[in-house]
Amino acid sequence: MSLVRIENITKRFGPLTVLDGVSTTVEPGEIIAVIGRSGSGKSTLLRCINGLEPIQGGRIWFEDQLVNDPATDLRRLRQQVGIVFQSYNLFPHLSVERNITLAPTVVKKMAAGDARGLALDVLKRVGLEDKIAAYPDQLSGGQQQRVAIARSLAMQPKMMLFDEITSALDPELIGEVLRVLEAMAKSGMTMMLVTHEMGFARNVASRIIFMHQGKIWEEGPTAKVLGSPATPELVSFLGSVLH
Amino acid sequence: MIRDLTWLDFAYLVYAMRWTIALTALALVGGGLLGFVVAMLRVVPLAPVRWLAVGYIQALQGTPLLAQLFVFYFGFAIFGYRVQPWVAATAAFSIYASAFLAEIWRGCVQAIPRTQWEASAALGLSFGEQLRHIILPQAVRIAIPPTVGFLVQLVKNTSLAAVIGFIELTREAQITTAATFKPFAVYGIAAGLYFCICFPLSELSQRLERRLRVAR
Ligand SMILES: Nc1ncnc2c1ncn2[C@@H]1O[C@H](COP(=O)(O)OP(=O)(O)OP(=O)(O)O)[C@@H](O)[C@H]1O
Ligand SMILES: [Mg+2]
Repeated sequence: MSLVRIENITKRFGPLTVLDGVSTTVEPGEIIAVIGRSGSGKSTLLRCINGLEPIQGGRIWFEDQLVNDPATDLRRLRQQVGIVFQSYNLFPHLSVERNITLAPTVVKKMAAGDARGLALDVLKRVGLEDKIAAYPDQLSGGQQQRVAIARSLAMQPKMMLFDEITSALDPELIGEVLRVLEAMAKSGMTMMLVTHEMGFARNVASRIIFMHQGKIWEEGPTAKVLGSPATPELVSFLGSVLH
Repeated sequence: MIRDLTWLDFAYLVYAMRWTIALTALALVGGGLLGFVVAMLRVVPLAPVRWLAVGYIQALQGTPLLAQLFVFYFGFAIFGYRVQPWVAATAAFSIYASAFLAEIWRGCVQAIPRTQWEASAALGLSFGEQLRHIILPQAVRIAIPPTVGFLVQLVKNTSLAAVIGFIELTREAQITTAATFKPFAVYGIAAGLYFCICFPLSELSQRLERRLRVAR
């Protein structure tokens, strides 16, 4: 069974239609790179999947839960779908440890001792176990973003969404974050990521979704979509990002 | 009979300060509790509730404090209830303070970036959990200086309670003036005493503000 099924969804902000008849599915273990020009609706698509944005038409399923049903427990859904943002959004008043353990202890009622073990565990996965006592403003952008990833991982989600998580970073810090993503991909995590790192998409993604004007303009296996783009819009987009 | 202004009068004025401070403290506690509730209603994701809170704040900020005092003091008398001046004053000042504190605190809550709400929602926290663990701890830091600033206003505004016969510093000064006919000296002393309360508060507010700028 598909992990996510998106059926003909429409998303509007007032008069502006941002997603227009979008349909796709995500299978367990897939790594999907979402590419497209600024304003094409990539972030919005991601945010609809974990219910951060309501939709005006169509349906989104996560396993057997209808995301856009008012009766759905979004809190439960969000424990299963993690999201990491471009601007990290760590909680500045909490230590790295508490940033990570807050949701497991508050939402999942995990015991404090177990949560600390979990924090160490996920910090190891992003290579930052020595920063457990630090505060966000004592970390570099790349480190903050890795903590944000660890924070999401601590909820043990079935799927992770990443919205341009390297775009705010200095070039020399991008690599460390991409390596964490690669390791997660190898471990079998289902991932959907909006990215401008075409090299990374080519190496890691199993499928590419190209968004244009609120629609999925082209979609398919990475090698095929990037190797022989079918539409002039994708040709022109690839031309513009490659230099 | 006009008599001299003596040290005893000064002592009475200092003594009356305690009612000024007591009224301020009661209004701060009452207004703080009520104001916190109104501030929270002002940010809940439910529009009709927010409108209700806005209406409450507007009604109180848009009417003179003096009128509010009279409503509490004489208003109840119309229905046959006699209220003590201190009861009317405490109620009026609490409600007055609640509107201003609610507005100050709402501003502090809304100064926390939207992304903090989003990141905590994405981790599955409920609205109440978001407030308690993420938003309020950050909002409290920025709320302290303006809250202390409002407290200074509150101290000075309690002088209005004199008009309904509540004997605090200003009312005591009126009484002393009537007996000694030395308004300049008496009100000068009263003003100095207000300053003695307000100046340390202002200082505190500024120091907190400086501390906050360097703190994380
Ligand atoms: N909260 C909002 N209110 C109104 N319009 C919005 C809002 N969020 C996004 N939009 C609009 O929706 C459109 C799609 O936005 P979205 O953020 O999904 O684009 P994107 O593909 O992620 O772009 P970028 O590469 O710049 O991040 C844009 O035109 C944007 O201005
Ligand atoms: Mg975006």
